[in-house]
Amino acid sequence: MAHASTIKNFKNTPKPDRTVQFRIKRCDGPGQPSRYESFNVPIESGSNVISCLQYIAANPITVTGQKTTPVVWDAGCLEEICGACTMVINGKVRQSCSCLIDEYAPHEGDVITLEPMSKFPVVRDLWVDRQRLFESLEKVSAWVPIDGSYDLGPGPQETPQQSEMRYTLSTCMSCGCCLEACPQYQKEDDASSWDTSFIGAAPLSQARLFNEHGTGRQLKGARLDALMGPGGINDCGNAQNCVKVCPKEIPLTESIAAVGRAVTIHSFTRFFTGK
Amino acid sequence: MATQKNSPLRQHHFLLRRLHSLSGIVPIGVFLILHLTTNATILWGVLNSRAGSDMLARRVGTFQEEVSFINGLPALLLIELTLWISLGFHSILGVYYAFSGRPNVREYPYPDNWRYTLQRVSGYVGILFIFYHVATLRWGWSFLVPGGTQWSHNFAASTLAAAMQGSEQGYTVAGIAVSLFYFVGVSLLVYHFANGLWTAAITWGLTISEQAQKRWGFVCAGLGAGMMLLAWASIIGFATLDYDAAAEIEGAMHSETNIPAAAQSHADNTNP
Ligand code: SF4
Ligand code: SF4
Ligand code: FES
Repeated sequence: MAHASTIKNFKNTPKPDRTVQFRIKRCDGPGQPSRYESFNVPIESGSNVISCLQYIAANPITVTGQKTTPVVWDAGCLEEICGACTMVINGKVRQSCSCLIDEYAPHEGDVITLEPMSKFPVVRDLWVDRQRLFESLEKVSAWVPIDGSYDLGPGPQETPQQSEMRYTLSTCMSCGCCLEACPQYQKEDDASSWDTSFIGAAPLSQARLFNEHGTGRQLKGARLDALMGPGGINDCGNAQNCVKVCPKEIPLTESIAAVGRAVTIHSFTRFFTGK
Repeated sequence: MATQKNSPLRQHHFLLRRLHSLSGIVPIGVFLILHLTTNATILWGVLNSRAGSDMLARRVGTFQEEVSFINGLPALLLIELTLWISLGFHSILGVYYAFSGRPNVREYPYPDNWRYTLQRVSGYVGILFIFYHVATLRWGWSFLVPGGTQWSHNFAASTLAAAMQGSEQGYTVAGIAVSLFYFVGVSLLVYHFANGLWTAAITWGLTISEQAQKRWGFVCAGLGAGMMLLAWASIIGFATLDYDAAAEIEGAMHSETNIPAAAQSHADNTNP
């Protein structure tokens, strides 16, 4: 779903031995100015953005023949599981490891633009720091509370439908695509404002995941309280970009509505019980 | 920490957000539906056979009856106050909230993203339009009306037509601009309401599944389309209304009943 448009462009057979130009937004470190540098990369069939970045790291020479520093990026699994390699490719956010050159640049001399995600602080070049996302997961207690010194016994039963629904939500890899594409999620350089700036789709969906868990439910009230305040569920503007860019096809807008409902009920309950 | 107890500020945030959502539907949205229905009588009034056999008399007469009825409502000032407070609250908070977003339709040109962006644009334009609409017709700021027409309760259709057309003699260039502004402003407000109604169901958690959101989308689109027809009917009705003919009908209506002195003198001014 997420990359349907690019797959559609795959109709013309890619030219085998071609050279593709990578235009890369570079930055030497936090707070440093950024610049663009272009590199020519010979393409083998099956090349992806990471393999091209590896070529550039080994041959850090720009199109004008200038020697430069190797481009830095982040990656882990190389199979769209860890989310570390997320970047903005031709203006749209996605994982670079699963980004095939044959789809994006089938012709000789085609240009691919690589930029770091714009909503997170750049560590260097294409590598960003997603710490804020991890702190957001902490804010919504995205875990099952099982700590204790005694045997908790077997967990509660779950219906297959329930576990199927939660399985989909559990595939989130905290890649940040949904945050990068969200018009309501802004870059915040000052970490002290993270708590009150919009939290974005991924943590909202994780709150739902753990609220739906038999044992995770114990922290439901705390999760909803955290999501009722500034930066919580109400700051979503329903642009629904998140669900379209999520590589795991997580039904984020359904999660957002589900948390909306939970918060509505939670607030009414609290109003009338005073709890 | 996530488990931190709610500070009053946090509760405030939630309440304000939800009141913002609610106020757009009740009272503002409900009022919009009633208001458009009333205004559209300038076209569908032709169906009102009680108002005589002449088509124009039916249109102008029905609209005038509606306006007089509204002016005779017992707690009109209370209704107006409620609307003004709601509109002010919804507008100020809406602009404040809208400023927290940064539209990115260029990078992510999905229809939903356009919908989101248009919701904000229609809000801004809608505020300007409502301000102009209320200032010129309710508060009597006639210096903002090309031709300086003062809207009159007793000559509701004719003076509105003149205000929209730019003069009592028909269209002027400025009048065309005013009419276009009405067309754009009202259309955007109808969109704003229909889309707001759709997203409110997500905000409050009524529609969760994609299918439910889609189904509710059809309902909102249907309601929006109906309101759009009413809005356009009103605009076409007033934009094509002949001032003199309408004023004559209105004048005749009032001479049968008790006309307030001011309106009488207005009638004398306009129909010497
Ligand atoms: S919800 Fe999807 S897009 Fe967002 S972080 Fe998780 S996997 Fe990435
Ligand atoms: S639906 Fe909400 S979270 Fe998703 S992109 Fe839109 S504003 Fe962001
Ligand atoms: S390297 Fe893990 S998702 Fe790309």
